[in-house]
Amino acid sequence: MVLKLDLDGTVHHLTILARRPHLVVSVDGRRHVVQGLDEAGDGSRQLTVDGEPLAFARAGSADGVIVRLDGRSFALRRLDAAAEASAAGGGANVVRAPMPGTVIVVHKRVGDSVQRGETIVTIESMKLQMKLDAPRDGEIAEIAAREGEGFDKDAVLARLAAPAEG
Amino acid sequence: MMTGQDDNPPFRKVLIANRGEIACRVIRTLREMGIASVAIHHPVEARARHVREADEAVEISGETPVSAHLDIGQIVGAARAVGADAIHPGYGFLSENARFARAVDEAGLTFIGPDAETIALMGDKISARQFAADYGVPVAPSVMPTEDLAEFTRQATAIGFPLLIKAAAGGGGKGMSIVRSAEELEGAARHAASEAQRYFGDGRVYAELFVERPRHIEVQVFGDGKGGAIHLFERECSVQRRFQKIIEEAPAANLPAALRDEICASAVRLAAAANYRNAGTVEYILGADGRFFFLEMNTRLQVEHPVTEMITGLDLVRLQIEIAAGRDLPFAQDDVTANGHAIECRICAEDPERDFLPETGTILHLDAPQAAYLRFENALDRGQRVTADFDPMLAKLVAHGPDRAGATRRAIAALHDLALLGVKTNIDYLARVLGHPAFAAGDLHTGFVVQHKAALAAAEPDEATRDKVLIAAALGLRDFRDLILGVPEPHASIGLWRN
Repeated sequence: MVLKLDLDGTVHHLTILARRPHLVVSVDGRRHVVQGLDEAGDGSRQLTVDGEPLAFARAGSADGVIVRLDGRSFALRRLDAAAEASAAGGGANVVRAPMPGTVIVVHKRVGDSVQRGETIVTIESMKLQMKLDAPRDGEIAEIAAREGEGFDKDAVLARLAAPAEG
Repeated sequence: MMTGQDDNPPFRKVLIANRGEIACRVIRTLREMGIASVAIHHPVEARARHVREADEAVEISGETPVSAHLDIGQIVGAARAVGADAIHPGYGFLSENARFARAVDEAGLTFIGPDAETIALMGDKISARQFAADYGVPVAPSVMPTEDLAEFTRQATAIGFPLLIKAAAGGGGKGMSIVRSAEELEGAARHAASEAQRYFGDGRVYAELFVERPRHIEVQVFGDGKGGAIHLFERECSVQRRFQKIIEEAPAANLPAALRDEICASAVRLAAAANYRNAGTVEYILGADGRFFFLEMNTRLQVEHPVTEMITGLDLVRLQIEIAAGRDLPFAQDDVTANGHAIECRICAEDPERDFLPETGTILHLDAPQAAYLRFENALDRGQRVTADFDPMLAKLVAHGPDRAGATRRAIAALHDLALLGVKTNIDYLARVLGHPAFAAGDLHTGFVVQHKAALAAAEPDEATRDKVLIAAALGLRDFRDLILGVPEPHASIGLWRN
């Protein structure tokens, strides 16, 4: 298994090279010896990596893991096979809110055909209006946005029907 | 900090017309004084910290949570229904609403703050500015709106340069310019007038002295409502983003003693002239040339009041409650002393890399450092959703030290050790601000964040750090751990189990 993690837009590959006598992990081809396996789950944790103690805090998020290390927080997104399949499909099929805000206008209805780049909804966030466009050609399968309603960042506002087979 | 139960509490029960960290802060002092506390909440915050920590809670309704917290009728009704004798408004929401103060009064309850007339006077920019000028508090020299360009030019020249010229009716920067010499003045005034006419149908132009690299200095005052007033020193709040403070400190850095005394004395003069009752803050802008001008007076407790508490050892909420009950100021000006330095950092759910736009999420992990010299003012819970319903400020981290450098070091260390995971915050950004040489030098002005934008951006982590982060992250994924522990892969790979 190769674990793929996206950190700030760059995808990194992790594999297990050895389990005994010590855990050896490859990160993008670089070998690291990991000892003193930490507890699973969220919270403040400690490990030894390449002989050096490593203290950090960690929490599992909706699409990956958040790590705080040496006074900085990093959000990592998981992109391995299974996650990639759903994310890629999902990515092409859904219109997500880039930031929290309010729906101003819903331009399309379920069943409408749209071309890539056509506006599906107009939102407002921080007094700024923004158009959210169709990520590809297709048919609207679902409109979750309602005019005047608020939403969180990353909320799915509209969904396209899956492309026909063949 | 004054502690211990009051032998004769001034009130039996106080309702807090607020939420979040400030509601919890007020509850703490009420408990110390032996006064029962009542929280209010919209249904969406029924399990919030302030509700759990108060002795009683009342649900208020509203189309949005914010509208519930602005519903004067419901809040005063709730206070009467539970038999509260006073209402503490906190900051924000209804705290500077004269109608609210009057409604509380008319319901036979005590409003913990100034009277409605003072709130109204200071709430209107024009009347507040005029009042300040009448009592010898410096206001920025300005030319009142006029269409008579010859008269305008004459008055503007008398003020001196640089001047900020703009359309009297307008906004959005239309016709606005900074004029640095008499030669430029006439042309700029003519341009502003024509732009003003074109965009707003009103050709009047306005000018005021432009303060370069202004610092935000404010003075904490307390008045007894009978003409007696004292100050609890100044605070500096020059580090701002989007016109909102993010770092506040007391005392102000590098402020000459004579200037400090002059600024504080002018604030006391204003409070005394207004027969000011309770806590208030007089805000000023201070120019590099040492000239300072009245900005506004906030007729409530400030977000940043803890820095004043940390250097004076006083509990400002207790003082507010005692004065609201009609007691005299418990000490004279000479009894107030300042010790060391305190810095407050406002921790907000926002993305400093994207123009500080608000962020939402769920608090997955929270671990705050503790020390006698630290305060972590918050009402956060693990699992709590951070939504766009309320202000993005999540918490305040306040550090005290023997001097400014010491307080800065402690604040940086505390930010470093503060783990708040699940929503993007400005924690790391605040640490970079405090670590910037210009901050250390006290070279502050309200454009600090913009001026040092490049230097304050997050650096790319080096490869060694990145690898450590990736390893720490991978070990948080259950199926990766199962692989390490030798669970057969097909089994381990079922689904995407996450912690």
